[in-house]
Amino acid sequence: MNKIQSTNLITEEILPGRSLWADGIRRLRKRPLAMICFVIMILYGGLAVFEFAAELAGWEKASVAHWNEITGPSYQKPFAPYEWIKEDGSKQIRREWFGTDFLGRSTFRRTLYGAKTSITVALCASLISLAIGVPLGAIAGYFRGWIDDLVLWVLSTLDTIPYIVLIMAFAVILRERTVFGLHLRGITAVYLAMGLTSWVGICRLIRGEIIKRKESEYVLAARATGCSNRRIIFRHLLPNVFHIIIINLSLRFVGFIHAEVILSFLGLGETDKPSWGAMIDSARAELARDVWWEMTAATAAIFLLSLALNLFGDALRDCLDPKLRVD
Amino acid sequence: MNSRKPVLTESNDRFVTMLVLFFFIISCAALLTSGCWKKTPPDTEEILFQQRSRAKIQTLDPAQVGDVPTDEISREFFETLYYYHYLKRPYQMVPQLAAEMPQISEDGRTYIIPIRRDVYFHDDPCFPNGKGRNLIAEDFIYAWKRIADIKVVSKNWWILDGRIRGLNEFREYTKTYRRGQADYSRPVEGLTALDDYTLRIQLIDPWPQLVYILSYISTAPMAKEAADYYGDDIQNRAVGTGAYILKEWSKGSHVEAVRNRRYRQDFYPSEGMPEDIDAGLLADAGKPVPFIDRIIWRIVEEDQPRWLLFKQGRIDINSIPKDNFGQAVSFGQTLTEDMKKRGIRLQTYIEPNVFYLGFNMTDPLLGGNKPLRLAINYSIDREKFIDLLFNGRGIAAHGFISPAMADYDPNICEHSYSFLDLDKARACLQEAQQIYGGPIPKIRLAVGGTDTTYRQIAQFYQRNIQELGLEIEIELYDWPTFLEKMRKNQLQIIGGSGWMADYPDTENFLQVFYSKNASWPNSTNYASAEFDRIYEEVRLMPDCPQRTRLYRQAERIVMEDLPAAFVFHRIGYILYHDWVGNFKPNAYKAECMGGGFAKYYTLDKEKRRAYWERFK
Repeated sequence: MNKIQSTNLITEEILPGRSLWADGIRRLRKRPLAMICFVIMILYGGLAVFEFAAELAGWEKASVAHWNEITGPSYQKPFAPYEWIKEDGSKQIRREWFGTDFLGRSTFRRTLYGAKTSITVALCASLISLAIGVPLGAIAGYFRGWIDDLVLWVLSTLDTIPYIVLIMAFAVILRERTVFGLHLRGITAVYLAMGLTSWVGICRLIRGEIIKRKESEYVLAARATGCSNRRIIFRHLLPNVFHIIIINLSLRFVGFIHAEVILSFLGLGETDKPSWGAMIDSARAELARDVWWEMTAATAAIFLLSLALNLFGDALRDCLDPKLRVD
Repeated sequence: MNSRKPVLTESNDRFVTMLVLFFFIISCAALLTSGCWKKTPPDTEEILFQQRSRAKIQTLDPAQVGDVPTDEISREFFETLYYYHYLKRPYQMVPQLAAEMPQISEDGRTYIIPIRRDVYFHDDPCFPNGKGRNLIAEDFIYAWKRIADIKVVSKNWWILDGRIRGLNEFREYTKTYRRGQADYSRPVEGLTALDDYTLRIQLIDPWPQLVYILSYISTAPMAKEAADYYGDDIQNRAVGTGAYILKEWSKGSHVEAVRNRRYRQDFYPSEGMPEDIDAGLLADAGKPVPFIDRIIWRIVEEDQPRWLLFKQGRIDINSIPKDNFGQAVSFGQTLTEDMKKRGIRLQTYIEPNVFYLGFNMTDPLLGGNKPLRLAINYSIDREKFIDLLFNGRGIAAHGFISPAMADYDPNICEHSYSFLDLDKARACLQEAQQIYGGPIPKIRLAVGGTDTTYRQIAQFYQRNIQELGLEIEIELYDWPTFLEKMRKNQLQIIGGSGWMADYPDTENFLQVFYSKNASWPNSTNYASAEFDRIYEEVRLMPDCPQRTRLYRQAERIVMEDLPAAFVFHRIGYILYHDWVGNFKPNAYKAECMGGGFAKYYTLDKEKRRAYWERFK
C-alpha cells in the first residue's frame, strides 16, 4: 500500500507543468458551447477584417463592399421575388434575403457591413480604455500615496456620471473637432468617446489586483534582486494579471458594441456607412408600415454576437480564474 | 454549538409562500391596471374636447412662447389684437381684441388701434376679489415693455427690435436695473394709450406686416397685476382674455382648460368660402361661442402612442404619423376603408412652406459654377422624394413662393428648372467640369438634424446626385452645430432646408434670399443687387397688384441664379373623428391643437361614446 502511494507521488512530480494559459485553453476546449461561441466570434471578426481589406484594396467583386448599391425596389420584402432591370437593360427575377431599405439597398449587405463598424468601434475603444486604465491602475496600486489618491479621485468623479450620458457628452464634444491634425467624425469620435470614458472599470480592477499582489513572494524576490519599479510593474505584476484583463475585455466588448448601437441610434454615430444602431434607428420608424426586416436583421446580428461574447467571456473566466475552476 | 440557523418549518414555509404569492398578485395587478391610471375622461354632461400635444409645453408666459405646441395651446388662453378669419381663404386678418382694423397714417409709421370695450381678463386671485378686470390699452403697452425688458429674457424681442420708436431705448434703460425693478411707467415714445381703449403705435420705419405681427401670441396683453402677483411663476399661469381658463397643467402629462364663463359675447363667423356651406361649416353661423366646455391636451411625444390613442377615440384630432400614412390614406389620397369604417375624416391643405437643397453661393466650387448647380438640380427625383420620405404629402416646388400664398404664380413651372432629367444633368456636369478644369471633387452635403428623417433625406439626395458620378459626403449635425457651421460659412450643400411663412405675406419668403440676411435665414449666402432692390422696395409696399408683380419678378431672378434646388411644398394632412364639428384647419396653426379656434368646434358626445363602445 505504501509502495503504491509513493509511486503515485513520483508520477505526479514528473508530470510536465502547464502554464495558466495552456491550462485555461485546455479547459476551454472541453466546453463545446464556448467553442461554438468562439467560432461565431471568429466569423464576425473575419467578416470585419474581410470588409476592411475589401475596402482598402478596392475589391470590386466583394458584394459587401457594395452596401450602397440599389438592388431592388424600396421596401422589398425578404425572399419575395421581384423583377429587376439590370444596367444593360435586361430583366431578371431577383430575391433579397433580408429585403431592401427605403432606397432599395440590400439589408443583408448592410447588416454584414455593420459588423465592421461595430467591431472596429469595440476594438478601438477597448484598446484605448486598456491603454489608459491598465497603466494608471497599476501605478496607483503599486505606489499608493498621493498618486493613488489622485487616480481614485478621478475614478470616483467619472464613476458618478452615468455611463451613457458621459459617452454622449464626449461624443458631442469630440464630433467635428480636429485633434493633432485628425478630423474626428463618424465612428472615430464614437470610439474615442467610449475609450476615454470606459477605462474606469478596468483601472479600478487592476489597481485592486496590484495592491493584492505587490507583497507576493515573487515581487519581493524581484525587488530583492534590485529590479526597478517599472520592471516590477510591467514585467512581473502585469503579466500575472493579464488573464483578468482578457476576461474583463471579452465581457466589456459586448458593452462597447451596445454603446455604439445606442450612440448611432441617437444620431451620434456613423453617418455615411451602415451600422446596426443606425439601422435600428431607421427601422424603428418603419415598423409601423410593416417593414420589420431591417430591425430583425440588425437585432439578430447584435443578439448573436452579444450572446457569443457573453458566453465565451463567462467560459473564459471559469477556465482562467483559479477560484472559479470547476473541473 | 448554539448558533441559531433559520429553520424553515412547515408553517414558516407556508407563510413565505403566501408572502411571495401576495407580492406576485399585487405586482400583476399593478402591471395590468397601470394603463387604467391614466387620466380618462369622465362621462359627465360637460362637452370635453380631447386634444394632444407632440411636445412638452414650455411656458404659459406669452413673452416666452417660442415653439409651435406651446403657441397653439397658449392661444386658447390668450388673445391678440388681430387674428385669422376662421373660414376665409386666402388667409385674412380680422380684429380679435381690436374693435376694428388699424388706422394707418399716410407715411405708414403711425397706427391707431381701437380696442374692444367688452373684454375681461380671466378671474384670478391676482385681481381684487378674484374678478378679472376690463382690458385696456395699457395692458398691451405693458406686455410689449416686458418683451423689451432685457431682464425678462424674452425669446420674442427680435419681433419688436428696432421697430417701435423709443422701445430700444427702454430696453437699454432696463439693463441698469435688477429683474422686476425697472419702472414700466417710464414712457416709450412709440407706444401710447390715447385713452383706455385706444392704442397708438409709432414706428421707426413703415412696416406693413405689423398687423400680422400683432397676431403673434407674444403680443398678447398682460395684466400688470398678474405679472406682479406671480413674479417668476407667471410662466406657469395663464391670465389672459381667451375663451378658456387654465385649470391644470401637469408638466409632461397634460394641460386642462375649462370654458371661461365670463367670456365676452363672441359669435361663430357668418361668412366663409363657398365650399364651407357644403361642408356644413356655416351651420352654426352667428351662434355664440365657445361650444365646448372643457379641453384636455395630453402630452404624447411619440408618434405611435398618439396614433393609437387617436384610433381608440381618446384623441379627437390628430396628424398622420409618416409611418402610419399607409394605414390612413390609400394611393388615391383618400381614406382607407378602415378609417372610413371608423368614421374618421380627412382634411388636406397646402402649407405655406418650401423645402429645398441650398447651395452655398460663396463656396468656390458651387458658387461660381451654375452648370454644376443645374446638374445637381436636374438629378433630384422630386416625385420619388415626396413619395418615399413624405408619403406623397407634397407637391413639387418650382420656385420658392408656396401655392398657399395669394401671390403664387400659377405659370411658374414654365420658367422652372425643377424637374428630373438625367441627360440634361450629365450635359451640365460636363460643362461644369470644363469650368472647374477637371473632375469635380467630393462635395459635402450637410443636414441640420441627426435623426432618421434627416439621415434618410441626406441619403436620398446623396443617392440621386451619385447617379451622375459625383461623389457626395454626408454630414449630419445637430441643429446648434449646423447653425454655427452655417454662420462660419463652412457648409457646401445644405440639405433638408425649408422655410415656413409666419404670416400670409410673401415678403416672408423673400427674406430667405436677401443678401443682408446672409448665413441666416439666407443660408445659401445668395446675393443679387437686383433682387435686393426689389425686396427693399416691396417690403414697404401695401398689398396691391404691383406688389404681386414684383414678388414674382424677384422669384424669377432667384430661379434663374439657382442658389437652391427647390424640391417641394408640403401638404398638410389632418384627421379628425366625425364627432368633431366645424373643423377647418389653418395652415399657420398646422398642428391643429387649438390655435385659438377650439371655441368654434362642436362635439357630438353620443357619437363618441358609441365609438368607444364599438372600438374598445
